[in-house]
Amino acid sequence: MTVRVSLSEAPPAGRLAAFLAWLGNPRVYMALAALSLLLVIPIVIDSPFIVHVFVTICVFAGLSTAWNIVGGYAGQLSLGHMVFYGIGAYTTALLIQHYELTPWLGMWVGAALSVVLSVCIGYPCFRLRGPFFALATIAFLEVVRLLAIHFNGFTGGSAGLIVPLKLGWAWMIFQDKINYLYIAFGLLLATLAVSYAIRTSRLGYYLIAVREREDAASAAGISNTAAKLKAAMISAALTSLFGSFHAMYLTFLEPETMFSLSGSVSVAMFALIGGLGTVAGPLLGTVLVVPIAELARGWLGASANGLHGFVYGVVLVLITLTLPGGLVGTFGPRVTALIDRLPGRRAAPDREEPALRKIDGKPGEPVLETRDLVMKFGGLTATDHVSITLRRGEILGVIGPNGAGKTTVFNQMSGFLRPTSGTVVVYDAAGRPVMPTRPDEFARLGVGRTFQIVQPFGKLTVIENIMIGAFMRHASVEDARAAALRVARLVGLLHVKDVEARNLPIGDLKRLEVARTLATEPSILLLDEVMAGQNQADTQKMVELVRAIRDTGVTVIAIEHNMQAIMSLSDRIVVIDSGKVIAQGDPREVVRNRRVIEAYLGEDFVDAQGL
Amino acid sequence: MDVLVQLILNGIMLGAMYAIISVGLTLIFGIVRVVNFAHGEFLMVGMYAVYLLSHHFGLHPYVSAVPMVLMLFAIGALVQRFIIQPLLGADEHIQIFATVGLSTALINLALLIFGADLYSVQEPGLRKPLSIGGYTVLYAQVVIFVSALVLVAGLHLFMQKTPLGRAIRATAQNRNAAQLMGVRVDRIYVIAFGLGAACVGLASALISPLFPVTPTIGTYFVLTAFVVVVLGGMRSMYGAFLGAMIIGIVDSLSGYYIAPDLKEVVYFAIFILILIFKPTGLFGFGRGTE
Repeated sequence: MTVRVSLSEAPPAGRLAAFLAWLGNPRVYMALAALSLLLVIPIVIDSPFIVHVFVTICVFAGLSTAWNIVGGYAGQLSLGHMVFYGIGAYTTALLIQHYELTPWLGMWVGAALSVVLSVCIGYPCFRLRGPFFALATIAFLEVVRLLAIHFNGFTGGSAGLIVPLKLGWAWMIFQDKINYLYIAFGLLLATLAVSYAIRTSRLGYYLIAVREREDAASAAGISNTAAKLKAAMISAALTSLFGSFHAMYLTFLEPETMFSLSGSVSVAMFALIGGLGTVAGPLLGTVLVVPIAELARGWLGASANGLHGFVYGVVLVLITLTLPGGLVGTFGPRVTALIDRLPGRRAAPDREEPALRKIDGKPGEPVLETRDLVMKFGGLTATDHVSITLRRGEILGVIGPNGAGKTTVFNQMSGFLRPTSGTVVVYDAAGRPVMPTRPDEFARLGVGRTFQIVQPFGKLTVIENIMIGAFMRHASVEDARAAALRVARLVGLLHVKDVEARNLPIGDLKRLEVARTLATEPSILLLDEVMAGQNQADTQKMVELVRAIRDTGVTVIAIEHNMQAIMSLSDRIVVIDSGKVIAQGDPREVVRNRRVIEAYLGEDFVDAQGL
Repeated sequence: MDVLVQLILNGIMLGAMYAIISVGLTLIFGIVRVVNFAHGEFLMVGMYAVYLLSHHFGLHPYVSAVPMVLMLFAIGALVQRFIIQPLLGADEHIQIFATVGLSTALINLALLIFGADLYSVQEPGLRKPLSIGGYTVLYAQVVIFVSALVLVAGLHLFMQKTPLGRAIRATAQNRNAAQLMGVRVDRIYVIAFGLGAACVGLASALISPLFPVTPTIGTYFVLTAFVVVVLGGMRSMYGAFLGAMIIGIVDSLSGYYIAPDLKEVVYFAIFILILIFKPTGLFGFGRGTE
């Protein structure tokens, strides 16, 4: 194992040095300087109205940043997020009213309740497609709002609830409004830190992977539901904390404003305007849009009712039509390029993981078995009693005509399809037989697979794509990156490592499929037509690559239509036709098998040739 | 027993109203595959227009139905052409944001122009009760019920018997294949979105005598319409019609037997359960026919 370098494990003196080095990065000190304006401007101007505007900015920027964790990173478009804000607000206020519990503690009770609710909403709803997920979150928001109105003995109902006015830091209620700003700014800072930490950690990469392609994410060992739930829980807790604080600031709660649909939409909208899925986007969007609303309200009074909302809506439509990446997504790269010209320290150069994990075990012993697999789709039997044993260290070729059911067998061998009957047994590192069910469980047991139709994470760079796989064995970003670089060199993608995957030609995409899978350090590799669509030179490279992989101890099973390549590569061949194994054995014998020739060329051909 | 029958009757009348709105929503989702979050606001725009026509020109709301259907068809077609069409290739969440933004803009525009006051169309004749075998319904409700039936029957004939209807069905089932057969898919989408919005135009004229218009009236109706559409299998207008009847009856019964302010909780709960456990809808119409 390589030496890990990270902030938390360094000795105290080293930690300080690392922190200073981090501060010395121009991106870091510019971001902190810009953030401090949120505090400095209102302190300098010192007008109650300006302080109010800035408190509002901090609250909504925080809400939007929290929303972005689930809405942007994880791509789950919640339009009912204010349900957590409302719960935070009501919980804190009611705890003060009934138990005289300070809001500093009450806010954590609210956050805990919100986390529970986020699991209750997320677990069943995460499988819904975009618009229906959004509708379901709206429905939850409405239900909670209506319940809050109905149980008026408890919540005060539509008439509202007044927070008991006890002044001072202990009760989070102040005469001098500037104190609110300190708390709001602190909360915002903490939320941004959490958002940044997620974005730059394994969880952040996992969320993007899940958002982009759920299947490829599972194949890389990611549990989609677990990743989304984590995002939802963190987001809900943060949203709730802002709700608790805002309740102390507003001191008056009513269901209409605490569980507001338009508020939920606004929070999502700020993130979109600034840039979905970026760290700075939600803050930037809020800073640009909220002052317009607050100033319109301040200057024009009630006659401007609806003006800010109208502007919000129009801006939102225009952004979707012109800048779907938001401000940060569109201009971010140019601005960071400018900032990077400033003096200061830079990130450390890339490190490359030196060697592959060595796989132990006796060659020739079974590593994976399918026993009597049957897969029926309606009346069609796609897999008909298929039993294949894969032996350690071999390259097993799977051939058969189009539509024979080869990929269906692969899908069962990697957990993407559950067989109608029969079992798939994987032997774990200790040689014990295991029967995993979900794709991510297969992946973690060391069964790596590629997809016939390539499944790149289009918006991530090549190296980040490979890192998604590498994260399965390496929790830290640096280690995963080092491992990914090594794999990139092995498969020949190092020269395009910083290119976004969607811009790659098909040959490179096929190699990227292999690379991402290889980065999970599988002991069994399932290759589904990785040579299709490649030219001769690339095919030759791929053949050599597969041999090199096998030489590290990996067992390979490959579906291939390129006969020349698969015949020269394989130690053993399995032929599948109409869902059945019709022949298996030595490559040279298999190609002379009468049934195999029939399957490919038809009976007439066989008769004509007199075979 | 009498109460129950009366409640079910009320529910059916209410359901007919939801049906007209939901059929429009279903047309748009089933054909263009876009969830129109601004659907309710189309209704709100129509209802303000009906109010203005009635207030300033004394136009009977039922007469307004004709200009409303035309106006909303035009609005729907324009929205499809200039907002949805450029985004058809974009990520789903961008499409959601676009219609959500449109909805936000329209609600607040209404607030800016009309304020939060209620405006009612004064047609007391239509709110008179009509007695059928001891049970009562309002005249306006009967009109809505008959209109809903006529609308679904008319759309059915249009979809089944006309070349344009066939082209629309083909597009809904397989966009690419339809395109290869020479169907101008973009134009079909504009027409479909227009038709969906036109349903709401009809609804706005029929509902105006019963409900005062406010900037947020659309949200009130459209959330229910979404419940109906999901219940009905999302793409089927027959499913939407049946779903509307069920929700109407649930609304009516739960308002009486549980609590008037919790009836929405009941059908939102149904909505969430259906989404989770039977996302193809209650009646198995969810397989993309029509």
